[in-house]
Amino acid sequence: MTKPSIGELLNGVATSLRESVLPEIPSGPTRRQLQVAIAIIRRVALVWDKVAPYLYLDNKDIEQTAIRICALLDRGQVILEGIDPGVLRRRLNEKEMESRSPQIDYPMWDALAARNIELQQILVNFQEALHAPALQTASVPARADRDEIAAMLQALFRRMLARELEVNAPPNRAGRLA
Amino acid sequence: MPPVSPMEDLAVRLREFLASKLPEASEIRIDNIAPLTAGNARQVWQFDLRWIDQAARRQMSCVLMRKAKAGQLETDLDREFRIVDALWGSGVPVAQALWIDSDGRWFERPSFIMEKIAGSSDLQSLLKGGPGQDSRQIALDMAAVAARLHRLDYERLGVDFLPPARIECAAAQQVQYWESLFLKHRMEPHPVMVSAFIWLKEHQPTARRISIVHGDFRFGNLLYEGNRINALLDWEMVHLGDPVEDIAWAYRTLWSPQAFLSLDEFVGRYTQLSGIQVDPETLRFYRLLGEIKHSIISLTGARSFADGRTRNLFLADRASTISAYLMQFLDWLPGSEPRSKASC
Repeated sequence: MTKPSIGELLNGVATSLRESVLPEIPSGPTRRQLQVAIAIIRRVALVWDKVAPYLYLDNKDIEQTAIRICALLDRGQVILEGIDPGVLRRRLNEKEMESRSPQIDYPMWDALAARNIELQQILVNFQEALHAPALQTASVPARADRDEIAAMLQALFRRMLARELEVNAPPNRAGRLA
Repeated sequence: MPPVSPMEDLAVRLREFLASKLPEASEIRIDNIAPLTAGNARQVWQFDLRWIDQAARRQMSCVLMRKAKAGQLETDLDREFRIVDALWGSGVPVAQALWIDSDGRWFERPSFIMEKIAGSSDLQSLLKGGPGQDSRQIALDMAAVAARLHRLDYERLGVDFLPPARIECAAAQQVQYWESLFLKHRMEPHPVMVSAFIWLKEHQPTARRISIVHGDFRFGNLLYEGNRINALLDWEMVHLGDPVEDIAWAYRTLWSPQAFLSLDEFVGRYTQLSGIQVDPETLRFYRLLGEIKHSIISLTGARSFADGRTRNLFLADRASTISAYLMQFLDWLPGSEPRSKASC
């Protein structure tokens, strides 16, 4: 562990800029740009250590939801165009292994981020398949399964956004967004 | 030779530009140039202009608006100039549009000059309702301004530079426009946003009428003095469409006048003055679209910064605001069945 931590270091930089540099700059566009820079540094200082756990949790949640959707698709009532549950399940399991570094048993940030993008795309594919015209006139059991999948995705989206908000709008920033 | 300061350089450009626009003028003088706070899509300066026109001394205070290198939206300054020009004298408060440099020949990027109007556009002061300032009255005046704008006969006004809109397709046009920007500028798949666009496409309302829609109608884009509005600013998102869109946008949480005038009161006043009925379902649709619209504006700004097309730090971290808007979208989402869609 190197002290000061990255968060402490960034906070110190933001404080120095605010207390030592900002008062020297007259009102105007340059001062406003510096104020924004300080606000960004403060946000990053607050959340830098939460980003990797956030991605890790997000990926796990998306994977688990996708696997539950695959189980529902296995019942065969609803068929989502372009989505084969068997292929998707294999993809979800394989990528879980690949997201870990060969040297240490801990997922690296860039692997987590790449995995997150890939999982997001799977969710986009689900969304588009769920709203394909053919499904609007499907059988009642098929539409029931479709609705259940849609509800699972909506619940997942809420959890994803709640996690994002922890990183993007930490408590002392949320007030300014509201 | 000493280096020329940016303000001196601007004064020279202004004199040369105005000499081209006022060929009869002599002794053109530019004084008191100063930058003004503006949005992220343009740079703004105020200045005093004096000249002699056929022996008569003339003077006026002006504002120069120059398009930013890259901002949140790819806007057409020419269209903004033309709509303000068309609205001058219509009863909708706007500053007089004076001269335009459409291709940026004089100012490097498209720019135009407007008459400077007295007043403040301080959003924070409006939201706080500072001493001597009645934000409720300004919000009521805003309802009156919206009523005047939306009742205008846009065909008689000659705004054929705005793309046409039909009542069945007004919502679809907006959804398509914002979705095209989303697909162009997104930096990740964004499944929640994709889901939002699917919902919007499945629930498009039919407009009761087509009006000139300001597109960024809100506290913060008003020039006010005392308790009345002197001018509506920032017409960069103007289009023909459903007037309800402006009301929904005015009541987004970020700048809503709700603390002074409830949405119901605003709608009541607006309907009383305009005769335009506001369908609650349509209002909800546009409130939902508003969250997505602001998400895309933020996304576009963040992308401009990420790509190095702008160094404006206001845009650097804009993507981090999107999750709050999307959460608001989900909170307002009704559990209704899709409406039947018009062919647009």
